[in-house]
Amino acid sequence: MHPPVPPKVKAVQVVAAQPTENDSAAITHLSATERRSIDPVTYLVKVQLEEKMPYTSSGWALYVGNTRIPKYWEYEQGIYFKVIDPQFFVEHQGENLRFTQDEVEFVDAGAQLGAPEAVPAAAIRRLRTQEEALK
Amino acid sequence: MPEAASVALTNPALPGDVPFDTIIYAAAGLVYPASLSQYAIYSTPDPAYITPRINIAAFANLGGGATWPFASSAIPLNGHVCVPQGRGPFPLVVFAHGNHQPVENSSPGYLYLCRLLASHGIIAATIDVNFLNGGNFGENDGRAIVHLEHLKQFRTWNNTAGHPLQGQVDLNRIMVVGHSRGGEAVGHASFFNRLSSIQPDSTSPVVPLDGSGPAPLGPYRFNLNAVAAIAPTDGQYQPLTGLTVVPDPYYVIHGARDGDVTSFPGYHTYNRAHAVDLANPTVSSGQWKAMLWVYNANHNQFNSIWASEAAAMPRASQEQIAKVHFGALAQAVLLRRPEYFAVLEDHAVATGWVPAGTEFVSQYQGPDRFFVQHHQEGAAPPVVSLPAQGTVFADSVTATRALTALVPGVTTTLTLRLAWSASGGRLLVRVDPATVPAERYKVLSLRVGQSVDAANPANRDQDFTLEVSSGSRTLAIAASSIHRLLYPAATIGGQKIMMQTLRLPVQRLIEEGVDPTDLRAISFVFDRRPAGVVFVGDLQFST
Repeated sequence: MHPPVPPKVKAVQVVAAQPTENDSAAITHLSATERRSIDPVTYLVKVQLEEKMPYTSSGWALYVGNTRIPKYWEYEQGIYFKVIDPQFFVEHQGENLRFTQDEVEFVDAGAQLGAPEAVPAAAIRRLRTQEEALK
Repeated sequence: MPEAASVALTNPALPGDVPFDTIIYAAAGLVYPASLSQYAIYSTPDPAYITPRINIAAFANLGGGATWPFASSAIPLNGHVCVPQGRGPFPLVVFAHGNHQPVENSSPGYLYLCRLLASHGIIAATIDVNFLNGGNFGENDGRAIVHLEHLKQFRTWNNTAGHPLQGQVDLNRIMVVGHSRGGEAVGHASFFNRLSSIQPDSTSPVVPLDGSGPAPLGPYRFNLNAVAAIAPTDGQYQPLTGLTVVPDPYYVIHGARDGDVTSFPGYHTYNRAHAVDLANPTVSSGQWKAMLWVYNANHNQFNSIWASEAAAMPRASQEQIAKVHFGALAQAVLLRRPEYFAVLEDHAVATGWVPAGTEFVSQYQGPDRFFVQHHQEGAAPPVVSLPAQGTVFADSVTATRALTALVPGVTTTLTLRLAWSASGGRLLVRVDPATVPAERYKVLSLRVGQSVDAANPANRDQDFTLEVSSGSRTLAIAASSIHRLLYPAATIGGQKIMMQTLRLPVQRLIEEGVDPTDLRAISFVFDRRPAGVVFVGDLQFST
């Protein structure tokens, strides 16, 4: 048995999707606390992996640059995390994705955070569901 | 001595004589797809034990790798519970698994412990959190909420007229146990248990935990007698207030051959719990904590269903160790037999009950303590810690304090390193007896461990002489006569330095003529090995 191997990233894609009920609550909350209008869009950052993550407890924390992604989830081709504040992309676009298990040693994933696709106001109501966007 | 205490105690791994029933409880109307056939047991729960669904969408999505017949806004409260027959109220323990293949139901993997505890008159449940398993990360707040909601369900049944559990649950005697990510989650549960609301992360709104709102969670406020973690992760979920500090009594067990959670991150959880408050160093939290490091035990064999992930001792041996130590823990904190704290205070008490030759390192800190040295003043030469007064002299021994990574990960606790290259070195800690109330405490307690430094011969116990002096008398005692200081275990994922707690009874000092009201000096004399390196965590008088 050897220490776990960090995930290898094939590609990173940002897709816009409809917010879930919970995402909508978060957008409302963030709009109120930040005092700015935030469109009802959830951006899914899909991190395509060469191999599925093993179902172990240890896991790998994901960073974009120096920012820790609090939670990520599994989809067919890898993992994804949600961004509800487009400002996140302004601040972190182009930064490297990194993995760590112990917050001391970091492994560069060899991929960067891309820009989200533009969502015209008229298209917001026609956005894919998250289930569709993760296919 | 531990051996004497062992004679007085019954092996806590032996089944008790209380008959019990094993019941499946679950939400109504669950129909699992064929790919999740292991969960079909939850489709036909005992009719008296139908549970509601809860909404954890604010904390977690469902894990991937399986198609669940529900959403995160309506997850079921499912589990097995072993209920003692006869008149209660009985204490309650609730186990939760960690991350694993979602198609495999991990929950029954702790039935071997539930059955043992139920046979001693404890209601023992093991819960279904499998829907959070998968290739996800950071969801351990969700696991904590699920765990607390199960406790709430038992409280509801206890308070429901006509229910079989009405009046049967002793809500003043509760323990939560979690394995792996479930082990991290019980720490968060301990933290959340005291809150009326929580903001899961910076972008989410505050979630009430007081039973209010359209999808009520809580209130909790349970009296948790112990929070126990089996090979836990640490810090995968991070509250906005910083890494979770467990406020309740905390117990952690971890195998040195763990092939999943390889770095023993639970040691960081342990260190943060009930640590010295530098602003109020004499104020104790009033809670105990205990740690057990098991040589040659792995991660998965604590769960009877999970396939072994790394070469280790036989599964039956590891389960026997779990039975002994969780049995003792439950006897001590749930069945109120405080004599079983002896096992937590010193694992050697259990030597006759565990597989022969198994090696352990253990730590214990009592609920009340007074630090002579806690070493957290800074990375400087060692001092006597305020409000104790005194001086420290190092003679032919190098004494340095540093943020040594005893286990991998971010280290926030300073440790004293003592190195000597010829026999006879000494670290002398002189104290003003008026400032050290040793007579109020039960033991002089210190944590010491050796590393794989070249000065420590491989696979040989380290040793030194501990001297304790009052005005007229000195007790000199080999550290090894209190406890072995083992050479570090072979591990996966980086070397660990495990310190063993040495507890020298104050009564022993008195018997040897050392007056605890006139304590003048404590010395580490390195006269039993020609060279070596040891790490010292703290020096305290303790209950």
